[in-house]
Amino acid sequence: MRRSAALLLVLLACLASSARAQSPAPGLEGMWSDPPTTPEGLFCFFACTDPGLARLNRLLDDPANDARPFQELQAEAKRHEREYLRDQLTPAARERYPLDPADDPGFLRCEPWGLARQIFAPHQLEIRQAAPDRLDLRYGEWDGRRTIYLDGRAPASPAPTAMGHSVGRWEGATLVIETAGIAANIIMLPDLQAMGAHSDGLRVVERYTRAADGGALHLTATLTDPRTFRTPQVVKKIWRWAPEQEIAPYDACEPPTEFKRGVKR
Amino acid sequence: MRRMHAAALVPPVLAILAAEAPAHHAFSPVYDEARVITVAGVVTEFRFVNPHALLIMDVTDGAGKVDQWTVEFAGRLNLSEFGWTADSLKPGETVTVTGNPTHTGSARMFFRRIVRADGTELLPGNAQRLDTIEEQRRRRAREREQQK
Repeated sequence: MRRSAALLLVLLACLASSARAQSPAPGLEGMWSDPPTTPEGLFCFFACTDPGLARLNRLLDDPANDARPFQELQAEAKRHEREYLRDQLTPAARERYPLDPADDPGFLRCEPWGLARQIFAPHQLEIRQAAPDRLDLRYGEWDGRRTIYLDGRAPASPAPTAMGHSVGRWEGATLVIETAGIAANIIMLPDLQAMGAHSDGLRVVERYTRAADGGALHLTATLTDPRTFRTPQVVKKIWRWAPEQEIAPYDACEPPTEFKRGVKR
Repeated sequence: MRRMHAAALVPPVLAILAAEAPAHHAFSPVYDEARVITVAGVVTEFRFVNPHALLIMDVTDGAGKVDQWTVEFAGRLNLSEFGWTADSLKPGETVTVTGNPTHTGSARMFFRRIVRADGTELLPGNAQRLDTIEEQRRRRAREREQQK
């Protein structure tokens, strides 16, 4: 009896120690949602790049643009960003960029997004520590769900999947997630009007950091796919701390009854 | 005209030109974003669901013929952020809806603005976000002037 109790105490101590080692900075747990209402937040509603943000800020800082609506400046900076991203694509990927939104399987067949769109989805992102060695990420859009393994385990199967296999670690207060084994699919470059195609060689490194005031979550994602990009690409996104929000059911998607291909925007 | 939400100073034109609504797909394959139409009718159903909220309404023409129109929204996710609920639009109430028509001209449109019989107005979330951004820009411009 006494020996059993001692063993139990040792086991509990080991579990507690393991939990501390896996999760030294769980400051990201909880509900996040659409970004703060700032020019940067709106520009990065889906995703954005540093060259795009730099163009936006130059336009905003120029007094000659004070009378122009923000939408106009944003559209100009987004055009610049799309041209920048087009230049980063391989010749084969460039031929298909941007994809016609009418060919989006999410639109045509209510097919949920793969990882390269889901991580840039608008609306809620809920982060929960499901176990000492596991984080669960849940998204409002599509009610998408991912598991992040903190113990470095290998995937159960080598076959690529829509969300791939994600392993994570803490670097100080930053959550770093590395994902591979992602099935070829569509990628936001940087939003729904400018999507590209990626191969099953895509690897994504996500770095999540909470802002100093706690009110925002910043993602910096590095995308590597030699069949798609000439060099690894860095794409960013922002969420706002939103503990009051809940993820509502996502159960009423219907394929379109009418649509037109080739609409220019 | 009274408006439902606090961010009430969005000029109508700006509201109509509101940037792409965040959603699970682009709307351009279905709706003509370069045109807007206005249709008045009586609400028969408001489906506050994901990924797109839908308003169904009966529209009566000059000859008394009733057509059923569908108004599509960006989705519950985007509406609830601005205080919308399943009761924001009730069956039986008369509304005037402004939105983007379909490319085919079918009895369907994408929501840009709704005016109720009592004059209150419902706007897309993006229009309200843009109003906040423009106020920030005006403040920044004033500060820049003061620093000269």
